[in-house]
Amino acid sequence: MSFLELEGVQTYYGQSHILQGVDLEVTEGEVVALLGRNGVGKTTTIRSILQLTPPRSGDVRFRGESLVGKDTHEVAEAGIGWIPEGRRMFARLSVEENLRAAVPNATDVDEALGTAYDTFPILHERQGQRAGTLSGGQQQMLAIARGLIGDNDLLLIDEPSEGLAPQIVSDVGRALLSASQEVSILLVEQKLSLALDLADRFYVMDHGTIIDSGETADVTAGDERLRRHLSA
Amino acid sequence: MIEHLLILGDLLDLFTSPGRLIAVLIEGLAKASLYVMIASGLTLIFGLMDVINFAHGAFTMYGAYMAGGLILAVGAAEMGFAMVVVVFLLVMLTIFLVLALIGTVMEVSLVRRLYEYPPIFQILLTFGIAITLEEFMRMFVEFQGINNGQYRFGWETPRLETVPTALRGATDIGLIRFENIHVLEILLGVVTVVAIWAFLNRTRYGLFVRAGVEDEEMAAALGINVKQTFTVVFAIGSGIAGAAGVILMWDPLWSVSVPLALAVLLPAFVIVIVGGLGSFKGTVVASLLVGMIDAFGTWAFQTGAITFTGIDDLMIFGILVVMLILQPRGLFGVEGQGDHG
Amino acid sequence: MSTDAARPDAADEGGALAPWVGGYLRDHAIHIAVVAFFIVYPFLYDVLVGQFGLPAEMLLPRLQTMLVVLWLGLFAMSFDFISGYTGYLSFGHAAFFGIGAYTVVLGANGQLPLLPGGLSFMTLMLVSALLAVVVAFLIGLVSFRLSGVYFAMITLGFAEIMYVASRNWDWLTPGQSDPSDGINTPAEFNPELGVPFVDPLQVETGVFGDDAILGINFGDLLVYNENLGAIVASYFAIGAVVLVCYLAMQRIIHSPFGRVMIAIRENEERAKAIGYDTFKFKLGAFMISAFFGAVAGALLVAYRGSVNPDAAFFFLVTGFALVAAIIGGLGTLAGPFFGYIFLEGIEEFLARGGSGGGLQPFLAEFLPGGILETTIGGDLTISGALDAFMTGHGEFYAGIIFVIFVLYVPIGILGTLRLWLGTDSVATYVSRRLGGFTAPAGGSGDGGDSGAGKSATAAGSVTAEGGEEDAPREGGGPAEGGE
Repeated sequence: MSFLELEGVQTYYGQSHILQGVDLEVTEGEVVALLGRNGVGKTTTIRSILQLTPPRSGDVRFRGESLVGKDTHEVAEAGIGWIPEGRRMFARLSVEENLRAAVPNATDVDEALGTAYDTFPILHERQGQRAGTLSGGQQQMLAIARGLIGDNDLLLIDEPSEGLAPQIVSDVGRALLSASQEVSILLVEQKLSLALDLADRFYVMDHGTIIDSGETADVTAGDERLRRHLSA
Repeated sequence: MIEHLLILGDLLDLFTSPGRLIAVLIEGLAKASLYVMIASGLTLIFGLMDVINFAHGAFTMYGAYMAGGLILAVGAAEMGFAMVVVVFLLVMLTIFLVLALIGTVMEVSLVRRLYEYPPIFQILLTFGIAITLEEFMRMFVEFQGINNGQYRFGWETPRLETVPTALRGATDIGLIRFENIHVLEILLGVVTVVAIWAFLNRTRYGLFVRAGVEDEEMAAALGINVKQTFTVVFAIGSGIAGAAGVILMWDPLWSVSVPLALAVLLPAFVIVIVGGLGSFKGTVVASLLVGMIDAFGTWAFQTGAITFTGIDDLMIFGILVVMLILQPRGLFGVEGQGDHG
Repeated sequence: MSTDAARPDAADEGGALAPWVGGYLRDHAIHIAVVAFFIVYPFLYDVLVGQFGLPAEMLLPRLQTMLVVLWLGLFAMSFDFISGYTGYLSFGHAAFFGIGAYTVVLGANGQLPLLPGGLSFMTLMLVSALLAVVVAFLIGLVSFRLSGVYFAMITLGFAEIMYVASRNWDWLTPGQSDPSDGINTPAEFNPELGVPFVDPLQVETGVFGDDAILGINFGDLLVYNENLGAIVASYFAIGAVVLVCYLAMQRIIHSPFGRVMIAIRENEERAKAIGYDTFKFKLGAFMISAFFGAVAGALLVAYRGSVNPDAAFFFLVTGFALVAAIIGGLGTLAGPFFGYIFLEGIEEFLARGGSGGGLQPFLAEFLPGGILETTIGGDLTISGALDAFMTGHGEFYAGIIFVIFVLYVPIGILGTLRLWLGTDSVATYVSRRLGGFTAPAGGSGDGGDSGAGKSATAAGSVTAEGGEEDAPREGGGPAEGGE
């Protein structure tokens, strides 16, 4: 039984046909990178998994169970976490409240909080601060913490390095690497070197379908095979 | 010219006699308390769901009628002061629950169908519900009139019959003079604000609400059942609207009537907009602002400085227009909310 | 489609007439049919009710109701003109209706500054409409910086201020009566509608006005209801004004200006990006809609001779225009008018108002006494329940119908028709169908230009419905340079 599986997923935004039959798979414990230029449907793929924009046809299965037709919160309860593009903090909530909101159904919130604070001490220092006033890097840490604290088995991570200084990017990379020890990850990332460092396998998307896939060990960031699809 | 001097003289008089000033301030506080009670349900619902609930005023009116009926049915008119107040509070709680139930039914059966549509459709839907509810009550009330004498109470007069004597008059303490009912109103206003604040900031559900207000999708993706949160908030908002009707029933300036629905709805809109759509803090501040201005307007009318009878309504909508021109997002509004539809 | 076979002979017949007449009639076929129906209605009503009595009276809207619908429908159309076409909900639209009504009454009472007393009704109506345009300009100047709920609320705020003023401002009623009771025109004021400078075409409106136009006495034409002659005369005179207003608004919507309005509704940013100063277009559209809204208010006074705050500036005046617009179809212009007829018709059927019509008298008459006297509970009989719940209270049923429409027919009656027919307007569809029957492709193209703008393109391609449907959207970002 596979872990996460997308089969012929077709998704529309109103009239626009964005995903035109996406097939991909993530097995347990794996980090998979989803590559492609802007606007080819990577974020829509993630939103389709989460049922934020439900697919019109095709199937999304998690541990063999179809997610299509479920509410987004049920997808989250099934053990899928989301670290979205732009981080999407609850800006007017404190750091601690952001974390609490990430474990809506936990019986022992304090324990979950403790674990998160152990992993990200900086968040402990700033627990009372409004999330909107954190720096970009700190917000990204909080977003990752929000994804991890919910006891998820799969994280959907969208552009984690976007808009961050190089020094911070490597911090984020380290955080993701340590996260990947515990959970499976589907990663959308523009920074090819970072994506290939973290991932075991990769998919390349174009025009709403998967056009290439393989092991990251077989390619490097400079490969013609990838550059052809990724350069603008 | 002489008129202007008179106003100046009155103003001077007001600000040099602390007793009178405090009296006006107390009245303003009482009015603000009523405003915060009628507006905060609207704010809660709008903030989370972007639904402007036009049936809000109708809920308040239903609350007022039901409370009048209940209090008379219990026979509160013959009870002592303490007992009446206890009955009153129990009735308020009951009305809160009843209206919360009605709100739940309405959200689950009707409003929920339209979340996919542009917000204008929810406005239209609640507007239609409001018209229907109001006219239904009018039917009912007139019907009662037809059968006059058959029932134990007349709907027109629950206030006169049930307000305990102790709450009818005014009290003088030293220089300060205040209407007794205003004390009860201020207490209830404070309780409402504290209760809502505690709900939002001290409960797990309140946290869900605040998270949902900021980013509904993110909240859902973290596992928060946003739909259920919508229902709960709609229920609470409706309940508060009904509970507000209970105290309005006793207030001599409002009392019970079918047009109460619109009389409540429009100022509630103004306060919600002036405070900033979806901001509870804004609603509290705007209620204070409007309440105080209202009280000073009433005072100016009483002194004869202003002879225009509709002065309080005029000022309320004047505040709305001025606010929207100067600061369209209101006092504590957030960019982007309410711009569409 | 069976048009191919019919076309040749039909073309011959069409050729016998001057081509443009045929083209014009064809483009306005639906309009002509509707107007013809409205002209016939009073006599139809008269005969049917005379012949069949109570059952006909139950089903048909009374003439008084049809008359009221005229100005209310015009007001709903003016509301739709701004709200349905630009997407800016004019929630205080009653302001313009009120300005129209109050200006006429105040003018008739000689209370307007700078204006001499004794002005004719037509002049006062024009003055009131122009005043509404000025007010709309001022309101729009501050309001169109906002959008969405905020725009709706600020316009509501302005209208409510006027409402409060109309209830409390002593100046309105120098005779010391309470302004909230409304004001009357003086007894000697006789509102006359008509074509300026053509005496035979002047009609004095109102219950006690003329009952003849051009020497045709309607009292004589009515077989059973001779006493309704004055109402029918007013109905025609006011109906004519409404028709002219509708055609004017329809013409504007089908002009390049109207296409920019629609572009604003569809995507204001894009309209801006193309280079339109959308602010000016919104303001212009608002002023135009205010003009017609005020005319509607003036027409109220033409018949009633008086006005009160609740019938003019009140929030629900806008509210019911909105209800009618949704029922008829927002953004269809004619839809709100029919929406109002539907609404008033249903209200009258389920909850008769005043003297007659509707289900209640019918049931009271035809249900056996045994059933009527049956008690439901307490002292309440079925007859009593009918009296209580089916007399007045039309708003109760209106609200339910409205909710049903919002849930199940959100694009309204006309909007749904259009969707079914696959066309941008019902008029276009009808003329396209007729075009196939009556004229060869070439000739009708020229004739079409004189009529509604869009139908001109329809004649050439009888079967190209798919292409047609896209036409208005393409028009949404017009290539013809605007102002």
